[in-house]
This record gives sequence, C-alpha cells and structure tokens, in this order.
Amino acid sequence: MKYLLILLVAMLSACSTVVPVTAKFPDIPERLLEKCPFKLKTVEGETVTIIDLTKTVTVNYETYHTCAVKNDAFIEWYNIQKHIFEEAGK
Amino acid sequence: MPEWVFHLMLAVGIAGTVAGFVLGFIPLISKYKLPIQICSLLILVLALYIEGGIANEQVWQARVKEVEAKLAKAEAKSQEENIKIVEKVVKKTEYIKTRGRDIITYIDKEVVKDKDVIKYIEQCPAIPQAILKAHNDAATMRNEVTK
Repeated sequence: MKYLLILLVAMLSACSTVVPVTAKFPDIPERLLEKCPFKLKTVEGETVTIIDLTKTVTVNYETYHTCAVKNDAFIEWYNIQKHIFEEAGK
Repeated sequence: MPEWVFHLMLAVGIAGTVAGFVLGFIPLISKYKLPIQICSLLILVLALYIEGGIANEQVWQARVKEVEAKLAKAEAKSQEENIKIVEKVVKKTEYIKTRGRDIITYIDKEVVKDKDVIKYIEQCPAIPQAILKAHNDAATMRNEVTK
C-alpha cells in the first residue's frame, strides 16, 4: 500500500520542456543582397583631359555612395531584426 | 477520449478510496474492503496521472499560443521595418544617381567653359600616364583582393 502511495506522489511531479515553437530569423530583402559592381570605371587613352578624369572620378564616387547606402542599410536591417528577434524570444 | 471520462475516473477513484478506507464499517463494503481499496487506489493513481497530463498540456498549449502571438507580432514588425529600409535605400540610391548625372552635366556644360579650366587644359592638354595608372590601379584594386 505504501508503495502505491509513493507512486502516487511521484506521478504528481511535473515535467519540464521547451515550448515547441521555433522562431525563424527573417529573410533579408533582395534589394540589400545586390552586390557592389566588381569593377570601378578606369580612364583609358593617350590624351585624357582633366575633364575626362573628373567625370570618371565622379562616376566612381557615385558607385561608392550607392554601395555605401546598401551596406549601411544591411547593418541597420541586421540590428533592427536582431532586436525584434530577441524581444520576441523573451 | 473526451476529458470528462478522466474526470469521472478521478471521481470514482476518490469515492472508492473513501469507501475502502473510511466506510469500512458498513457491512457490504467491509466484505470487499481489500479489492475496493486496491482497485480504487489504482484508478485514483491512473486518473491523477492523466489529470496532471491534461493540466500540463493546457498550460503548454496556452504558452504555445502566447509565443505564437508574440512571433506573429514580431514578424509583422519585421516586415514593416523591411519595407521602411528598402524604401530608404531606393530613395537614397535614386538621389545619388540623380546627383551623379547632375554633376556630369554640370561638368559638361559649366566646368568646360570655366576660364581657369580652359587655361589649365591649354597648358596641360593630357593628364600624364603615371597619374592615370595610379587612378586605374586604385579603381581596380578589388581584383587584387579576389586573386
């Protein structure tokens, strides 16, 4: 009889487990996955004027700034999504 | 199996246990005291075990729903932020492209007419190749990194 009582008490103990819900880290927007152009514009020719050089430099700066915007956006996206993800897991 | 079956089992178990242990003085019960005690205790143990399981399941289901609601909210917020970031990128990229075109146009229309620039080009019609090489090396240095 006492063994039955011990079994009864043992069965009252609770089990512990994790909540069976998995959180998926969100996908990054395609726009932020675009790679930067591999090659910057170079200046070719025998008689290149200061005007041609300035225009080439301007084009390359434009490429850099476009790339920088995407890079900054990627960092911002990651930080925001990490924060949201961590808040949801609390 | 519906839950009420297990509630009924619990009630039967409790009633049987009470009858077996407390109401032993009643002649009908005293005759079957031991079988009633054993059976009712077994039913009580099983019913308690199942009741515990049901209660535990309900607690977990509630927690799952709570987490799912949190995740749905987070997902919506995440999508909202994605849209904001992409819109910002599109806006900034467009601005940079427009500014780049404007500057090129400005060079073609205004800078070429500038007296100092004209004077400079007359004195130095072509940029020395060494300077161009330095510029081109800087522009293509990424090739070196990927080698």
